[in-house]
Amino acid sequence: MSANRFHLAWFGAGGFGVKSWRKTWSGNGGWDWTSPQLFIDLAMALERACFDYLIIEDSSYVPDAYGGNAKAYLASATATPKLDPTVLAPVLAQATSKIGIVPTLSVTEYHPYMLARKINTMDHMSGGRTGWNIVTSSSHRAAQNYGHDQQVEHDLRYDMADEFFELACKLWDSWDADAVALDERNGVWADHTKVHTVDFAGKFFSSRGPLNANRSPQGRPVFTQAGGSDRGKEFAASTADSIICGTAGGVAEMKRFRGDVHQRMTRLGRPTGACKILFMCSPVVGETDAEAREKRAQQIAFAEEHPELGLLHLSRHSGIDFSVFPLDEPIPDTVSTNGHQQLLRQAIGLTPREFLRRTQGAVEMVGSPETIAAQMDEIMQEVGGDGFLISNFDLNRRYISEITDGLVPALQRRGLVRTEYSHPLFRDNLLEF
Amino acid sequence: MSADRFHLGWFYSKGFGPKAWRHAWAGSAVGRFARPDMAVDLARSMERAGFDYLMIEDSSNVPYTYQGSHDAYLRHSVDTPKLDPTVLAPFLVAATERLGVVVTCSTTEYHPFMLARKMNALDHVSEGRIGWNVVTGSNDGGAQNYGREKQFPHDERYDMADEFLELTHRLWDAWDPDAVVLDLERGVFADGSKVHPVHFEGKYFKSRGPLSAPRSPQGSPVICQAGGSPRGRRFAAQWAETIIASADTPEQMKAYRDEVRAKAVEAGRNPDHVKVLFLASPIVADTHADAEARLAADLTLTEDRIQYGLAHFSRLTGIDFSQFHLDEPLPSLKSNGHQSMAAGFEGKVLRNLLTRAQRFGSDAFVGTPEEVAAVMDEFMQEVGGDGFLIVNSYFSRRYVMEICDGLVPELQRRGLTRTRYEHAHFRDNLLAF
Repeated sequence: MSANRFHLAWFGAGGFGVKSWRKTWSGNGGWDWTSPQLFIDLAMALERACFDYLIIEDSSYVPDAYGGNAKAYLASATATPKLDPTVLAPVLAQATSKIGIVPTLSVTEYHPYMLARKINTMDHMSGGRTGWNIVTSSSHRAAQNYGHDQQVEHDLRYDMADEFFELACKLWDSWDADAVALDERNGVWADHTKVHTVDFAGKFFSSRGPLNANRSPQGRPVFTQAGGSDRGKEFAASTADSIICGTAGGVAEMKRFRGDVHQRMTRLGRPTGACKILFMCSPVVGETDAEAREKRAQQIAFAEEHPELGLLHLSRHSGIDFSVFPLDEPIPDTVSTNGHQQLLRQAIGLTPREFLRRTQGAVEMVGSPETIAAQMDEIMQEVGGDGFLISNFDLNRRYISEITDGLVPALQRRGLVRTEYSHPLFRDNLLEF
Repeated sequence: MSADRFHLGWFYSKGFGPKAWRHAWAGSAVGRFARPDMAVDLARSMERAGFDYLMIEDSSNVPYTYQGSHDAYLRHSVDTPKLDPTVLAPFLVAATERLGVVVTCSTTEYHPFMLARKMNALDHVSEGRIGWNVVTGSNDGGAQNYGREKQFPHDERYDMADEFLELTHRLWDAWDPDAVVLDLERGVFADGSKVHPVHFEGKYFKSRGPLSAPRSPQGSPVICQAGGSPRGRRFAAQWAETIIASADTPEQMKAYRDEVRAKAVEAGRNPDHVKVLFLASPIVADTHADAEARLAADLTLTEDRIQYGLAHFSRLTGIDFSQFHLDEPLPSLKSNGHQSMAAGFEGKVLRNLLTRAQRFGSDAFVGTPEEVAAVMDEFMQEVGGDGFLIVNSYFSRRYVMEICDGLVPELQRRGLTRTRYEHAHFRDNLLAF
């Protein structure tokens, strides 16, 4: 027996930024990252392997939470620099024809009209393959770049996101599907009775509308969301077509997370099949299990040699300076954050060194393609669905090939993932199974 | 004797929206306006012909100034729909290697940090070929989509734009050119001491900085501007590197250019660093008579064209032109939108203005390629520079070919325009002569 078919997606950690740059197999990653070629190669490889989508992660500031200055972040190119993902998304759409492209855009940085317009254009130009990874921004530094003194409080950000989402959807729906008449004989390009103002006046946002472009192939983009907090999950359960679960540790927690989201969806009146929950993982693939274990041991050794590299992320996401915490004493439960609450909760009780040894994602996957395919099969049988989101902070072309030309064919042989796209539109493929 | 070498640009009027659709030679463009192919074909042709830049015009609303309704705008596709030009730009950049791509973005719609970030990413991805056409927004309907009741007063919009430009330039300069060190041995990507917060607090905008990405190939985008009012001209003299100008005769052109250059000197700038390009809609055909016939057809008013023109004037000025008699002189008009346009209308008969609603510049550029090239030569000898910006609201691929493969080769034979790009960056080519 094997699991039902499940979905694969890629989480572009570090966004449109520097990937692997000073290791074996980095190529010239430190120099040529602003040319989008690595990302184009990634998108084309993922399409070859029939992935559902590629998320381009983003944040818009140079962090300085660790050590109180930007030095360590800039020296290691951790979480910065990042170029604008809305510039990369069209490039990727042009290089591909089937895969979903999902840029990350923040509701605390955009006005809803601008965001609705950009996404509508991308969906038109990609032929209906655009998604929006909805984030609320967690850092004060990002807020300060946009002229605010500090970031909006965690739960209030989600209230804003609710309203933002409502308004953006109204704008996407402001042109009826048949508004464009293209009646050359009578000289009617569009029928104005089928284009509607939205006249939205909310607590945080207002807009007259309509959008100044007709409905795009998907109408609304595919919505992805990663909120792990209670408020975040509630938002995701009501809006998302796909949820990124990056914080569950172990199969039991994955199952619990999925059950929790499904319960919320049912309460909100949404069918549970309408949202695909994908679990973050970072498989370490080798020719043999032994070779893969050796690679993983090297990763851990590197992490322990450079503890600050791992703590930079934890500091940035929480706003807490972990440079002052001893490496071998448990992180106390007195720390709190206005940022990524779930992530911090997982670190509490572990020593920083222990935290660094953890895998990126839900379950550690180390082995040959066959071994990992079998493991994914088992996990999905237990969890029930809906698939995995592959992520790797130290991305290089060799890793892309190991996944798309090694692991994925093994999954395909087991009938676990798709071997071809059935539909032209991203959402239709996502909801197909 | 002939004129010095001059520059060529293309003003992509009606932005990323429908072009020819009820005209001969519209081809498949009618139903495919939301796909990038037409603009991509244009960009490739322009590069073949050695143009400096393609400027994508933009506005962000479905207007309703004329008759208080969307009807005429949607029926005739007047200045709407328009997709987002920042999404089109990456497609154009990917399809070309030397052409400058200029994107229109409004200082009353973007936050400076977001705009600075997008331009930086575009300049990286294009390897130094991006420009920004600075507009301040003019129609109240645009402001209403962004949650404001109406546009800011005309002159104040330029005060805001001054501050906006000051802040964005600081953000573009936030990373020293040598901040990225890429020291593989010591593991240093960038030097934190060479990346500076901007701590900008103006009257309208605030940002901490630094930008979240390194300096781009050009450092900052080439600044393009079209303001014709006194305040607009002052702004242009301060910031613009290329100016979109509209004038009918060589005398008017010379007077305009001389004034711009004098103002640039007053602002402490080298006047040769501001290239004034004049809008022109050449009509080139196999014979002079053919071209004249096409001009006559273009100047023939039909009921559709009257409606189109009235709706268009209404949007640009914010004044409902349905209130005026077609055959009587217009009264003095007060506009918070395009002031210079409204001022120029006073005392003129509306019907006469409407015949030219879709034509730009002089009607002298009509004839065979040889004839038009000769007239352009004469004009430039008299004006002194700096070239022309081709514009045609309803162009087809056939028109693109007539210009790029008919007119331009004739200009090149006369030694008037470039036959190859000397530099990699847009700005360097623009300033090469």
